[in-house]
Amino acid sequence: MVLADLGRKLNAALSSLNRAPVVDEKVLDATLKEITSALLESDVNVKLVASLRTKVKAKVKGALDAQDKSKESNRRNLIQQAVFNELVALVDPGVEPYKPNKGKCNVIMALAVHYQKRGFKSAIVCADTFRAGAFDQTRQSATKAKVAYFGSYTETDPVAIAAQGVAKFKKERFEVIIVDTSGRHRQEKELFAEMVEISGAVKPDMTVLILDASIGQAAEAQSRAFKESADFGAIIVTKMDGHAKGGGAISAVAATKTPIIFLGVGEHLHDLERFSPQPFISKLLGLGDVQGLMEH
Amino acid sequence: LFARLTGSKVLTQEDLKPVLDAMKQHLMKKNVAMDIAEKVCEGVGETLVGQKVGGFQTTNAAVKLALSNSLTRILTPKTSTDLLLSIKSKRSSALSSTQQRMPYSITFVGVNGVGKSTNLSKVCFWLIQNGLRVLIAACDTFRSGAVEQLRVHVRNLSMLGVNGAGDSKGRVELFERGYGKDAAGIAKEAIHYGRDNDFDVVLIDTAGRMQDNEPLMRALAKLVAINSPDKIIFVGEALVGNEAVDQLTKFDRALKDFSSASGAGKGRGIDGMLVTKWDTVDDKVGAALSMTYVTGQPIIFVGCGQTYTDLRQLRVANVVQAILSD
Ligand SMILES: Nc1nc2c(ncn2[C@@H]2O[C@H](COP(=O)(O)OP(=O)(O)OP(=O)(O)O)[C@@H](O)[C@H]2O)c(=O)[nH]1
Ligand SMILES: Nc1nc2c(ncn2[C@@H]2O[C@H](COP(=O)(O)OP(=O)(O)OP(=O)(O)O)[C@@H](O)[C@H]2O)c(=O)[nH]1
Ligand SMILES: [Mg+2]
Ligand SMILES: [Mg+2]
Repeated sequence: MVLADLGRKLNAALSSLNRAPVVDEKVLDATLKEITSALLESDVNVKLVASLRTKVKAKVKGALDAQDKSKESNRRNLIQQAVFNELVALVDPGVEPYKPNKGKCNVIMALAVHYQKRGFKSAIVCADTFRAGAFDQTRQSATKAKVAYFGSYTETDPVAIAAQGVAKFKKERFEVIIVDTSGRHRQEKELFAEMVEISGAVKPDMTVLILDASIGQAAEAQSRAFKESADFGAIIVTKMDGHAKGGGAISAVAATKTPIIFLGVGEHLHDLERFSPQPFISKLLGLGDVQGLMEH
Repeated sequence: LFARLTGSKVLTQEDLKPVLDAMKQHLMKKNVAMDIAEKVCEGVGETLVGQKVGGFQTTNAAVKLALSNSLTRILTPKTSTDLLLSIKSKRSSALSSTQQRMPYSITFVGVNGVGKSTNLSKVCFWLIQNGLRVLIAACDTFRSGAVEQLRVHVRNLSMLGVNGAGDSKGRVELFERGYGKDAAGIAKEAIHYGRDNDFDVVLIDTAGRMQDNEPLMRALAKLVAINSPDKIIFVGEALVGNEAVDQLTKFDRALKDFSSASGAGKGRGIDGMLVTKWDTVDDKVGAALSMTYVTGQPIIFVGCGQTYTDLRQLRVANVVQAILSD
């Protein structure tokens, strides 16, 4: 899949441990160098990568210093496990997500389809009055997906639309109401203020940040700013079907202590995958059997 | 670290290594792709080994100067970025009596959601301001709302006052055939329509696609092969990280390989880039470096906001400064 490339590199780095006759500091450094370089190439934040390296070193230091050479395989396992744990920590903020209620267009439709399929009565409110053709986009894809939608060609205030739409669907006893808003960045002050207003009008149970898998080092600053203003409770990373490894988006998890809940893996309505940290990393590392690694 | 290296001496690999390592790290923080950061540093190292630094110049300063020169060289366009000039020269080129004048055509390509349609509209605005008549061809027949998006832009643009307006013909029009149809064919029809109706420029919007999606890349190459546009502009985000390298390499290669395979002679690649969302990255402008390094082609425009006037020319000196800044 997408991350095959990163996985292969990480895996190669770890398996070089197994080939080294003696695991000493030099071998550890070489392994960590390969790992960090694979992560940097995947857009993981430069500072995070440096701290991962330091943490792994600190954790295995004791074992490396020990004189007893007979514990060679223990030492290997310890290093592998430390790396595994740190990788999981990168994508796992240790916070439970709530059920979603706000995000961006394509994904939103997929989300609505996702909940609809699971028996929730779902609806979309298009509160993007900024992007040309946004309501047409919602209308066309909602129709295709057979999901209820609300929006307006004439109302230009997204706050009003959001409030009206949510009120309407609440009255009609919809169970999942998803409000789509226009794309914005922290430098766009007015749009940021508008986002806060929409949130105030809708009082969502949950706000979702949608990030593109190809984002690079700007991910940290952007996601922090969104966290401060919109206090999102979950992240969805889209376009994981391409070549991008999503390291920037992964860094957003660490920067905001917010979990990723889904991955977007294509342009079609069903292209949404559930995300959970441990299986994600073990799949990434090509480790079918995580347990094996964890037992030691 | 650096103080130790002052004084007159000849620079060696060992002197340079720590400084270059720090430099590579710095470039990556500025969102330069890792490969590119490595190559740039290597190049800087090569120019410096064996050089004498002395007097008041520190190794650090020598490295910084060499880096600045190298960045400037990479970012400085090697071909003309004057689009108006190239449009005008096509318009005034000699034709035989049987030939009809073709409009100047520009195709916008790139991965999903990077800002192709929005920035196409900004380019349209700029062309109109320069007195040209523009036809927009809606060749994204896939994404919901793509046609309506362009229709809204055309409506907005045709209402905007234009310098020295007052001609009876509209300055901008939309050419569309709805959804689900073959983009290459629509582009062809649009260009013919533009020719027959006195349009100076045809701007071709295409659907976003992932660089690894072969069927979609083939379809794009077909559009290019059939219509041989005057310019193929790759649209990429300033936000993109290491992925910039892969996107550009594969778009360029797929266009070249697949368009030559379909019998149109030599394959056409990317002619230049438009870097969008420049306003969203502060001084982390490394993507611009990655993109120009990979293609050797110029950045023709920079998109720096969501309104029609948010389109600029790249200022190389500013970019170099942003990348060097702490
Ligand atoms: N390949 C792929 N394409 C995707 C995915 N998610 C979205 N897209 C495409 O990305 C483009 C942008 O998607 P939108 O849903 O319009 O994005 P948005 O965030 O709503 O954009 P704005 O409203 O303009 O801010 C479209 O062409 C989508 O089809 C994904 O997971 N994979
Ligand atoms: N801040 C900022 N936003 C931009 C810029 N250029 C485009 N955008 C926004 O990016 C989003 C996507 O733009 P589109 O033009 O729809 O992108 P596209 O590449 O045509 O997308 P697809 O056709 O779905 O692949 C929109 O919300 C635009 O307003 C820019 O320079 N700065
Ligand atoms: Mg949208
Ligand atoms: Mg588009």
